[in-house]
Amino acid sequence: MTTQIHIDFLPAEGAVVRLIGLVERRGYELEAMNYMPAIGSHRLSVTVRARPGLRRIETLKAQIARVYGVTSVNDVSKSARLEAAS
Amino acid sequence: MNPAAPSIIDPKPLSRTGAQLVIDALEHEGVSHVFGYPGGAIMPVYDALTASSLKHILVRHEQAAALAADAWARVTGAPGVCIATSGPGATNLVTGLANAFMDCVPIVAITGQVATPLMGTDAFQEIDTFGITLPVVKHSWLVRDAADIPDIFAEAFRFARSGRPGPVLIDLPKDVTQANGVTPGAFACRTAARAVFPLDATALAAADRLIASARRPVLYFGGGIALGRAENALRAFFQRSRIPAVATLKGLGALPTDWPGYLGMLGMHGTRAANTAVNDCDLLICVGARFDDRATGRLDSFAANARVIHIDGDAAEISKLRRADVALAGDVAAILSALSGQTGPIEGWQRTCAENAERWAFRYDAPGSGIYAPALLKEISEAAGDKFIATCDVGQHQMWVAQHCRFSRPQAHLTSAGLGTMGYGLPAGIGAALAEPDATVVTISGDGSIMMNIQELATLRRYRIPLKIVLIDNAQLGMVRQWQELFYEENFSEVDLWDNPDFAELARAFGIEAFTLDRRADVPGAVDRLLSTRGPVLCHVRIDPRENVWPLVPPGKSNSDMMEA
Repeated sequence: MTTQIHIDFLPAEGAVVRLIGLVERRGYELEAMNYMPAIGSHRLSVTVRARPGLRRIETLKAQIARVYGVTSVNDVSKSARLEAAS
Repeated sequence: MNPAAPSIIDPKPLSRTGAQLVIDALEHEGVSHVFGYPGGAIMPVYDALTASSLKHILVRHEQAAALAADAWARVTGAPGVCIATSGPGATNLVTGLANAFMDCVPIVAITGQVATPLMGTDAFQEIDTFGITLPVVKHSWLVRDAADIPDIFAEAFRFARSGRPGPVLIDLPKDVTQANGVTPGAFACRTAARAVFPLDATALAAADRLIASARRPVLYFGGGIALGRAENALRAFFQRSRIPAVATLKGLGALPTDWPGYLGMLGMHGTRAANTAVNDCDLLICVGARFDDRATGRLDSFAANARVIHIDGDAAEISKLRRADVALAGDVAAILSALSGQTGPIEGWQRTCAENAERWAFRYDAPGSGIYAPALLKEISEAAGDKFIATCDVGQHQMWVAQHCRFSRPQAHLTSAGLGTMGYGLPAGIGAALAEPDATVVTISGDGSIMMNIQELATLRRYRIPLKIVLIDNAQLGMVRQWQELFYEENFSEVDLWDNPDFAELARAFGIEAFTLDRRADVPGAVDRLLSTRGPVLCHVRIDPRENVWPLVPPGKSNSDMMEA
């Protein structure tokens, strides 16, 4: 199963590499990504799939949230699934 | 910059060089000692250093600078500072940064970099320090404008110690530190106050209910106690609840070793009483620990019948490996203080745990006349008393220290727990001894580990640091040998260190007093000499190479499957 996460963060040198590296190091395969720079805050949207092992998407979100400059982390798969079901 | 940057005070009107701003920033943060090694790209900073109030400790390898800064931080609670030049200077820091990252130690690492126009051209001693260190720092900055230096340094110190502490890195291109006539904005004020987490009253009430209804509760605590400076809160909770307690390797010292009800370290080399209590408990109160594999053994059999209350300063740790029935993220001390500690009828359980602790207590009556390292280490720690600080290396001796030494505070036990860095002990001893000059700092090392940073004997000599070194020498890579004996059918491969130097002679060559100990009858005199020598001293201890660390949970096994001698 894949999960799509929106990460909003303040622009800083190396921020995108830092975030992608974190996702992969924590045991997730990156299936798709979209980077949307904007004035003030940037958004990285990643679609990830957990590699085998003990991995919870809530843990990954919390690990991303503690990265310097990250302002929000949202699992948009849930809302997309809810919308599709309604 | 982070929008939560602190308020602005203390304007510096003078025009400065970038390097002078670096020194100003360190002084402004209250830094007294920095550990480092100069080189080409960082020379402007070293030039400015001579006119500063900072005490620079010249190590003989950059890795030692990072490891000494690590120990400084663990003892003082303030970020340690290390400095290196670009290229190999920076790469040599990496192990120390990774060590600090794994053990959540605040460090500010400062590296030189080639001038910005040369970056990306494969210039002499150019390496992508920013990129190489990304996985092992909380954050990093590549400074491109000298005017940003004050703000970046203030932010670096704040972020290193905020939340889950850890190392940060500031990479300084040479043209930035050489920049003249920089007009800084203003220094940000000293690091902002620690964040205040609101207590979750609902979760606290749920935790209180679980504690009150449990019949076999266990308190399982780790390094988060020291990080949160929460030992007093832990001790108060332990005393009012009387719940039997076990510690991780990093939790040692949070409860004094000799307190009744404290069962010692759990896990791979934990006590049988601690592992049995966790195995049998019906409630596990995990405080500042993270269900590390060395502590849990096979995770699915760890406290298999227990509910879990997980208290941690880092929300990302909760339910990472073991689902928590009650999650309490935030200030560990505040949470512990808010828990009632009201237990149900657990007297029988307390009695069982106490009887197990007595029945399975370590014995020190080993046969023979040679040195029995566990007894020696116990004796040294007891003789040193409450001023004792042990800095360990990695291997069998590290586990013997954890099992047998007496600790009365978390800062008494400095060990490379997460990364397992051979070579940590000696530089960490230097950092600890400088951080707390009144302490009796003892580096306990092995003949494998000591050689990883043996050059730091020169640093000891240079500054006359009164570090006591106990070198446990079995002429083997003992822990690897033990595993080869037990799990690789005695196929001993590359563990024999028969060609070690004479360590006492080697120490003397560095100008360090040294002596050798190999007879049990000589232990009292040796301990006395070790602790009473005013300057640095090395006690070279020869032990039987066949000695193993017991008990042992084999890798991948449950903690209930403990092997004994």
